[in-house]
Amino acid sequence: MTGGDQAMSGDDAMAGVWVNPAQCGPEPHDVDLARVWVGVAAKVWRRRAGPLERLAGRLLGSPGLARALVTTPSLVLGWVLATAVVLAAGMLATLQTGTPYVAFVAPALAGAGIAYAYGPGIDPAWELARSMAVSDRMVLLVRTLAVFAVNAALGLAASVASGVATAVVFGWLVPMTAVCALALAAATLARSANVGVAAGLTGWMITVLSGRAIDGEFTAVVTESGLVVPYLAFAVCCAGIVWHTTRSARGTS
Amino acid sequence: MNVEITDLTRRFGRTQAVAGVTMQIGPGVFGLLGPNGAGKTSLLRMLGTVIPPSSGRIRLLGHDLGGYGQRRLVRRRLGYLPQALGYYPGFTVVEFVEYFALLKEVPAEQVPRAVATAVERVGLGDKARARLRTLSGGMLRRVGIAQAIVNEPELLLLDEPTAGLDPEQRVTFRALLRDLGQRATVIVSTHLVEDVGAACTQVALMDAGRIVFHGTPDELTARAEGTAAAGDAPLERGYSAVLAEARS
Repeated sequence: MTGGDQAMSGDDAMAGVWVNPAQCGPEPHDVDLARVWVGVAAKVWRRRAGPLERLAGRLLGSPGLARALVTTPSLVLGWVLATAVVLAAGMLATLQTGTPYVAFVAPALAGAGIAYAYGPGIDPAWELARSMAVSDRMVLLVRTLAVFAVNAALGLAASVASGVATAVVFGWLVPMTAVCALALAAATLARSANVGVAAGLTGWMITVLSGRAIDGEFTAVVTESGLVVPYLAFAVCCAGIVWHTTRSARGTS
Repeated sequence: MNVEITDLTRRFGRTQAVAGVTMQIGPGVFGLLGPNGAGKTSLLRMLGTVIPPSSGRIRLLGHDLGGYGQRRLVRRRLGYLPQALGYYPGFTVVEFVEYFALLKEVPAEQVPRAVATAVERVGLGDKARARLRTLSGGMLRRVGIAQAIVNEPELLLLDEPTAGLDPEQRVTFRALLRDLGQRATVIVSTHLVEDVGAACTQVALMDAGRIVFHGTPDELTARAEGTAAAGDAPLERGYSAVLAEARS
């Protein structure tokens, strides 16, 4: 049936269903063909969720949230592959030069991924999603955590493979948390993923250059244990901004 | 009453989009008319729980919208078609409608049948597996309507639902509206006065954020009597007469 050849018969008009009487032929009085067809269509059109979506559905206890998670723009295969390629390049550069490029690149990549996880302009149906029973704040939280986890796993793998000191291997995880929080806060506040990416990259670049200027070496920003508390405090502040900005009672439009 | 609004306002910066609207709406098809910028979309977005009001009270389906728990209960029974429907180009029609059925927390075992019913009701059965990027504007509008009705909503909010539909599809859509209005409260924001005349049992006219008329389509038509209001149809003349009176 197409829009152009549809008409509505009297009974069907009551049921509110588009049909083409010419295509239907005589209908037995004791069989509701529309109901039968809907039953068939439900089976034929049924989408099989992939293994990741099924696993996420079980873990999250919500098929809707699981579906929202697997549609995350920064978790599509292309994005994840691009992240892996950049980290692999960083790993090779680290092996050749001894400078821990992975530790500098991983927080920036994660920040970009977080900024592109959810929001107006990134999720086409964002306005519609705000009227759904599964809250958009929950979608944001789940997507953010998933993007963070994927980026952390890829970064750790690259970092370990690059053969740097243990302090450097894990040292960038806390700064990455702060960069991600900054990117998310900026993206949420400005309602723009690009602003979030710019804020995350700029913040991280300033931090790295400041560390070099103060301590004379780039690695200070990821190995200095005294920076852990400021990084975490900053991340908590940014999380507070996100929490406040996404409050439905205040509104965001 | 499924919709109870009291002294509702909404500001965007210095702009007052909705300025003190009070209404009660029961089951049936309710038409929301008004010129561009009258505040119709802002009112629908507030009713759709997309944006909160600046002040005033909204009670939907017997629930206040203060807490998330109440909003969630309402949202499960709500259908909303925004004026600009964002969509995922790579999704098929069925995938898109199914996605929103899941987000509306339709029980998982009921989702395939609910999706098939909604897709058939808007006449997109033969396009069920077509990617959204391949559909025309009118078809996309019908996909939007399908996601709005997939949970058999008790409150259905449609913002310009007939935009992009051809005349034949609009006639069919009005029949669907009348059917939906038998069980639910359907609020339709539209510029098309003829849609209101054909499908709505009640109508309100908004101008500058306020409700300037609330009654039946016949009562709106009657407002043109004895005036020189412009319009090609009686309802259009009533519309013009009320607007002229409100602005005088």
